Amino acid sequence: MNLPEPLLVSAADVVRVYGEGEAEVRALDGVTVGFPAGRFTAIMGPSGSGKSTLMHILAGLDRPTSGSVVLDGVELADLDDKRLTDLRRDKVGFVFQSFNLLPVLDARENIVLPISIAGRKPDEAWLTRLIDAVGLGDRLDHRPSELSGGQQQRVAVARALASRPAVIFADEPTGNLDSKSSGELLELLRRSVDEFGQTVIMVTHDAVAASYADRLIVLGDGRIVHDGEAHTPEEVLDLMKAVG
Amino acid sequence: MRKVAMRGLFARKLRLALTVLAVVLGTTLIAGTYVFTDSINNAFDTIFTVSNRGTDAAITPHKTIDTSNNGGTPPTVSARVLEQVRQNPKVADAEGSVFDVATILGKNGKRIGKGGAPNFISSVAEVPRFQGFTVKEGRKPQNADEATIDAATADKEGWKLGDKVCAVATSQRKCYTLVGTTQIAGLSSFGGAAVLDLVLPEAQRMLGKGTGFDEIEVAGKPGVTPQQLKTELQRTLGPTVDVRTGKEQAAKESKDIRDNLGFLKTFLLAFAFIALFVGAFLIFNTFSITVAQRMREFALLRTLGASRRQIWRAVVSEGLLLGFVGGVVGFALGIGTAALLRALFKAFGADLPSKGMVIEGRTVIITVLVGVIVSLVASISPALRAMRVPPVEALREGAVPIQHGHRRRMAIFAGVLLALGIGLMCVGLFGSLSSDSAAISFMGGGAALTFLAVALLSPRLVRPLASVIGRPIERMTGITGQLARENSVRQPGRTAVTAAALMIGVALVTFASIFAAGAKATINNAIDSNLKSAFVVQNTDGFSPFSPQVLRTVDRVDGVSSVSGVRFSEAKVKGTGGNQSVSSIDPRTFLGLYKLDMKEGGDAAVNNLGPAQVLVKKSYADANDTKVGDTLQMTTPIGKHIAQKVTGIVDDKGGLLADLTVTNAIAQTQFGEPKDAFGLVGTDPGANQAAVKQQIKTLLEQRFPEAEVLTNKEFKDNIAGQVNQLLGLIYALLALAIIVSLFGIVNTLVLSISERTRELGMLRAIGTSRKQVKRVIRWEAVITALIGGVLGVIMGVVLAVLFTRPLDDFTLSIPVPSLIIVLVLAGLAGVGAAVLPARRAAKLDVLEALAYE
Repeated sequence: MNLPEPLLVSAADVVRVYGEGEAEVRALDGVTVGFPAGRFTAIMGPSGSGKSTLMHILAGLDRPTSGSVVLDGVELADLDDKRLTDLRRDKVGFVFQSFNLLPVLDARENIVLPISIAGRKPDEAWLTRLIDAVGLGDRLDHRPSELSGGQQQRVAVARALASRPAVIFADEPTGNLDSKSSGELLELLRRSVDEFGQTVIMVTHDAVAASYADRLIVLGDGRIVHDGEAHTPEEVLDLMKAVG
Repeated sequence: MRKVAMRGLFARKLRLALTVLAVVLGTTLIAGTYVFTDSINNAFDTIFTVSNRGTDAAITPHKTIDTSNNGGTPPTVSARVLEQVRQNPKVADAEGSVFDVATILGKNGKRIGKGGAPNFISSVAEVPRFQGFTVKEGRKPQNADEATIDAATADKEGWKLGDKVCAVATSQRKCYTLVGTTQIAGLSSFGGAAVLDLVLPEAQRMLGKGTGFDEIEVAGKPGVTPQQLKTELQRTLGPTVDVRTGKEQAAKESKDIRDNLGFLKTFLLAFAFIALFVGAFLIFNTFSITVAQRMREFALLRTLGASRRQIWRAVVSEGLLLGFVGGVVGFALGIGTAALLRALFKAFGADLPSKGMVIEGRTVIITVLVGVIVSLVASISPALRAMRVPPVEALREGAVPIQHGHRRRMAIFAGVLLALGIGLMCVGLFGSLSSDSAAISFMGGGAALTFLAVALLSPRLVRPLASVIGRPIERMTGITGQLARENSVRQPGRTAVTAAALMIGVALVTFASIFAAGAKATINNAIDSNLKSAFVVQNTDGFSPFSPQVLRTVDRVDGVSSVSGVRFSEAKVKGTGGNQSVSSIDPRTFLGLYKLDMKEGGDAAVNNLGPAQVLVKKSYADANDTKVGDTLQMTTPIGKHIAQKVTGIVDDKGGLLADLTVTNAIAQTQFGEPKDAFGLVGTDPGANQAAVKQQIKTLLEQRFPEAEVLTNKEFKDNIAGQVNQLLGLIYALLALAIIVSLFGIVNTLVLSISERTRELGMLRAIGTSRKQVKRVIRWEAVITALIGGVLGVIMGVVLAVLFTRPLDDFTLSIPVPSLIIVLVLAGLAGVGAAVLPARRAAKLDVLEALAYE
């Protein structure tokens, strides 16, 4: 009945060790996990649980000490820095905690930045739809310093979506936002999954944020301690207590 | 508090190193100049002290006026004086000597020594204690057919004992058998000069001294002090000679050469201060940026209870410390710089003597002091800004915004500076200042103020200029160009100061190239419109006078219609201060070969110029209110008093004649100048020019190798070559200022990159390649460099137009291709300056950069 879904991103027995000898830290201790396309996954865990490390390795920003990561059919371990950079450019979108927009570019220029870097022309129809979705119509020619935090982060999401990447990684995207802006942003991520079929993997420590996701993965001491569904913040909190 | 400041300083090694580097670059040429010139002076001191060691008293002809600068022929002491000295009971020993300019011929029959390195003939002393040179190899010459030469020249020319060496001076070419080589005080080189030593009578004959001497060396009897000997001799010999003790004579010879080389120190120091001035921009910028980056830190200190004064003191003491360290390192590198300067001058043909590097206490003190003062001044404004940071800034998110509250006041201040600068330049240009050096100081000071004013105004120019320069780059490169342009205008003040530093170097290069092009054009015009002769004759060294026999002989060549010699001397004129330059001509032939504008007196005034008459240049006549019919009372270099009646006033667009002009006959009898400095040669109508020139050339090569014949075109090329050589030297020295300003670009980029670390991390994360990151940095450097280049070229052109205005008949020509090359080079320099910062930016670890705060 339930055929296994094809996996867009998968990690097999990933180990990441920092330091050597006495100072050795095993940030990831044999993680195997797969992410099918078109799903919104939240990764949670206490500080030092390895959640950020996992995201960095899945996104090709860091390399595992051992194990394999496949993103959209490509084994990341085989790629050199140049090809890894191209892969990030073409197949991955990022949303960071501290927005990370370029202050010298206006909102529209920031949104199309990954496309400009690739030296391509933006798909105008898609862009119009995107801008409509993030709700920034009249602020497109403003620079980040003239936008609120919530607006800046929505520009960041639009930037991540602009090149229609295979997957978007969001690292504590609501960490610097008030609760109203947080809600709007998470709604936007949710819509991108539901309406555009985007795959989103989000690292967070906010139970409310995690409740927007289809699936919750909880890490502890470099291992996956929970992998399942979670629909309300209360459920999430209970789960965290249980594993904590 | 001090501990905190110092810890903050050492926590950021890169910033520390870059700031110190700024001070080092600014001070090293100052130290280098002092070490270099002190070393030369020391070498000459040694040479003269050693050569006068055995002399108790030296007797030289008394010069009524100092003619050390005009290259004329000095008077001599007569043989009778020597007889008189020898009969004096206090004298144990006395001997005469001669030493003068000559031409020593190499194996190819041409003058030896490249550039203007002079050749001399000297007499050899019979009395050992008077002999300055020591024989290194072989022996002293013993008869009129033998000679020794300095070891350095023998080496250079590959001469061995027993070889024939030929020379020419007032007397014709003669060849000698080399019997020895000499050195002085262990120095085999006399500063690139070649010295041929002959027995006294032969040296006198060659140099045309008759039985006279240039100097008589005297040794006193035991018990007679040099001072007593000097007093005794001066009393008995009277005022026609000067008597000095050996030490005084050495000091005088040393001082004469120091005076002559004094310009060298001034010249080099001028470039050192240009580099320092540029360095000050760099120091200021580095301080401003590092302080801006630590604003949060200062605010935190303020929250924790540090007073404003403590913050101020922390920043200023940081400046002092960096200035001190930079000055010390600058001094240490200055020793290497001195060696480079020596190599540079050698490359340009001036092999200055050296006897090891001389490091005087004064050099250390000046260098370190200059470093400290410049850093102190540069740190004042950033310290004020740090002091004023409100404590609450420590708690705010994001970078502390930079205050731009003083824009208007800054503009007014810049305007005042600009007005002041232009005012000073005008005083220098048009004011009647007593001396040229005062005028140059005014113009230099004015130019420096103008540069400062433009630098202060340039933040307003950065945006439009970056736009003009950046748009085409953006069109070419897309997003990387756009980011580069946007980054360059992000902190207009910072970009402006960085670009302004380069602007100064570029402006001076532009100024020098326009000035040189104008000088060449002016000289070419003058030669084309004033020379009616077919050829000119000059000394092969380009400036020394040559025997009058030369032109007399040339006159007899078939096809030569007439020749005219011009001589130069000096005189004191009653009623005017200082020495006046005097030229002399051959009245019969001069106007046939040279065009003069006669303002008064007509051509007859020249053609009939008599022994008691003088021609006056218009500029001199205007300045001294001289009229035709006036009588000028003149004192000549050999002490004769003559009265010359003004019969004509001339305007010489060719610039050949001096202020006052007499006949060659008067120059010989009254001024003691028997030699021609310049010869004009005319040809018969229809004569085959090339054939005539070839005949003259052959004749000169055979009989007068010290002279050469040039067509007007060759003469122009010759002068252009000299101008180009000077220009090359100036470019080489300006290169340091430009290098300093390029380090400014490096500095600013590195500091800006560290500010933008997180942005770069993001760019790399979302898929920007290392190459693209490098490209962004590189284009930003190019834009900054081109802003400096464009401003510099504009400033250079404006200054050149201004400075050449008061010069009579100066042909201003703007060498557009050179200026385009300057701009292209500025852009390329930007690429060079970006190499290191770009590499740093591309190497950033993405994850670390993203986590960077």
